[in-house]
Amino acid sequence: MTKRVREHKIETPKEKQNRHKAMEAISLLEKIKHDFKEPPKAMNYFYDLYERVHCRHESLHADKVKVGTMCIQVPSEIIHALDAVPLRLCNGFYTDDEIGSDLLPSKACPLVKATVGQFVSGNFSDKPDLVISPTTCDQKAKSGAIIEEMGYKLFDMEFPRTKESAESREYWRRSVRKFTKELSTDLGKKLTKKNLKESIKKVGYAQHLYHKLNILRKNENSPILGLDMFLVTNAFFFDDLDNWIKATSELLKECAQRVEDEFNTATKKSPRIVYTGSPPIFPNLKIPLLIEDSDAIIVADETCSSNRMFNDMVSVDEWFVNDMVDSVADRYLKGCTCPIFTKNNDRIRRIIDLVKEYKADGVVYQAFAGCQVYEMEQRSVLQAMEKEGIPIIYLESDYSPSHLGQLTTRIEAFIESLKNRRRKKQ
Amino acid sequence: MKKIRDFINRADISKFRFWLQLFFFILFVYGGYFSINLGNSIPVFSCGYDREVGGMCYFLPLQHQLARPLDVLLSAASISVLIGFLTFLLWFIVFNKAWCGYACPLGTMQDWITGLRKRMGINYSTYTQPQFNSLKKIKYLLLALVILAPIGVGLGILGGEWRTAFCEICPGRMITPLFVGDTSQWSLDFSTKSAMVLTTLGLMFTGLFFVGSFVKKRFFCFFCPMSAMHYIFSDAALIKLRKDGDKCTKCGDCYNVCDMQIKDIADDVQSTNILRDDCILCMKCVAACPEDDVLHVDILNMPVFTSTKGGFVKRMQMDDWEKKDD
Repeated sequence: MTKRVREHKIETPKEKQNRHKAMEAISLLEKIKHDFKEPPKAMNYFYDLYERVHCRHESLHADKVKVGTMCIQVPSEIIHALDAVPLRLCNGFYTDDEIGSDLLPSKACPLVKATVGQFVSGNFSDKPDLVISPTTCDQKAKSGAIIEEMGYKLFDMEFPRTKESAESREYWRRSVRKFTKELSTDLGKKLTKKNLKESIKKVGYAQHLYHKLNILRKNENSPILGLDMFLVTNAFFFDDLDNWIKATSELLKECAQRVEDEFNTATKKSPRIVYTGSPPIFPNLKIPLLIEDSDAIIVADETCSSNRMFNDMVSVDEWFVNDMVDSVADRYLKGCTCPIFTKNNDRIRRIIDLVKEYKADGVVYQAFAGCQVYEMEQRSVLQAMEKEGIPIIYLESDYSPSHLGQLTTRIEAFIESLKNRRRKKQ
Repeated sequence: MKKIRDFINRADISKFRFWLQLFFFILFVYGGYFSINLGNSIPVFSCGYDREVGGMCYFLPLQHQLARPLDVLLSAASISVLIGFLTFLLWFIVFNKAWCGYACPLGTMQDWITGLRKRMGINYSTYTQPQFNSLKKIKYLLLALVILAPIGVGLGILGGEWRTAFCEICPGRMITPLFVGDTSQWSLDFSTKSAMVLTTLGLMFTGLFFVGSFVKKRFFCFFCPMSAMHYIFSDAALIKLRKDGDKCTKCGDCYNVCDMQIKDIADDVQSTNILRDDCILCMKCVAACPEDDVLHVDILNMPVFTSTKGGFVKRMQMDDWEKKDD
């Protein structure tokens, strides 16, 4: 009998973090894969992508310059045109949220804490070479400075908090021009008519695919889960653009086929939900999971990890570099429904339009505890929905895996009431 | 029917516009060679000083008609004024402001100058919004000049040279005849002081016209009194530019491509009739709108050209990638 000597090895903090994060990732993926009807085959690309990045820590962009972005307002068209990769750093890991808690106020937003936390740990599968921080909400703007202190190269991008005025438009355009110039100098690449036009067209096409996929969700039979859609849009944060386009095209074909076959991933009775509020970011798809586990289906959303990131397109009148850069700038300001702006009737109008277009039964408004702007806008949105006769529920949540009981009860009750409402209507 | 509609909504409107503009340019500037005469109540600047004009700008006859002594102007003799006006109105009602975007020779010339600038790879400039808001009022002052100056002549307050005061300063008077080889308008009139001032102004505005429209798209249209006149009657027109504000995301794509910098087109989500006084109904906004059915051009309440997601992507050439996949 041979004696086995078990090597005693102490886990490093980094390994521990990675193990925890892999656990968070895989447990969500398993639930999405197995708790529901069979997902579209094309979704395997995305499931696999998350495993590669978050469980096996594979680098996707080893040979390219990586530009980290802190918000959706950083123009990815320009980064792509300069032959770099934009990586959106908004983070959904509870493990990182806990690490970040040491540096930020206890009542800060978990998304910001998790984002800062990841910088503290320095644990990236693709580490950003520089970070762009638009001055959107207070917490994001201030955490830029904290990240810079850790030794990261950071570029503050000034973003106005109003969007209607001619002044704010000009201010933001200047900000984008400055960003373009500095990034171009930094990367040693020149922005040309050709590469910018190509990248505007490519990002535009990616948006177009998202829109087409969304149109399929208007059908009475839902071809795809809201959860799967969040995975698709979240992948846009970090995936290689060409691969994303290819995978999403496949998914689109499959979903179109499903619509033709009248396949329904939910049931005919499932209430249709429009999701709005703080962004669900992988693996914090807690609330969407609770909703779809309770026999409802998310048919549309108004969040910056999904709809808001894709919705507005760049239109160019004259394909010159200057006009293109200005047009790109406009895309990220004028149509944006971020709650950081002073007034936000546009967001309310968008939600109402989504409810009508997607024949939704109700709205779920979720705000992260500590995300002031979403918390503050809650009243006005609730009032507007009440006026329109649209049922809405407001939930506050964070990244912690505990306290699910109360949330489950509230969501289930809301969905049950939507079902009753539907029955009465019939 | 649906196929035809899809085809139109996906069409590259700029080509269609280029050819239609060329057609109208030839019709109005060279119409005389083909013995075409559409009368003298045409609601665009097809200049009457052009000896081959195929249909005359309404302002020239209007000014002559108004320059009558008041008692004549208010008598039955002025039925001809009324008929001229009604003819103008009838022409106008058919196309609304699309006259500016598609038929006006002076507008077409500006678009050609813009084309030249584009060829040379030079960027355009724009006004800031406050500048724009004050400049746009000038066209109403000029409209007042068109109407009041001849009446002043009729009343004997102003001298005869004020009869066609606006024409004297209009760049169309000097430029349009050039196309038929007539340079006689390129002169200063030294007969009276005010004639001298007016023709000097005319020469200056002509210079400004060339420089202005080279750097700024549709430079002259901001100041055009015909545009102001159109706007007064645009509610009665058959063609309408409409907007469904509920679906609008205010992304500003339409505003971004608008030659006339009309901010309302993006920001106004209340009005259904979104035609503004500066609008030239070129329909570029409809073509640049990335949302389904938000902006549409209606004829008698029937949408003929509607914004669509597919059309947008096609016009922005974003579907190149789709073709590569197949």
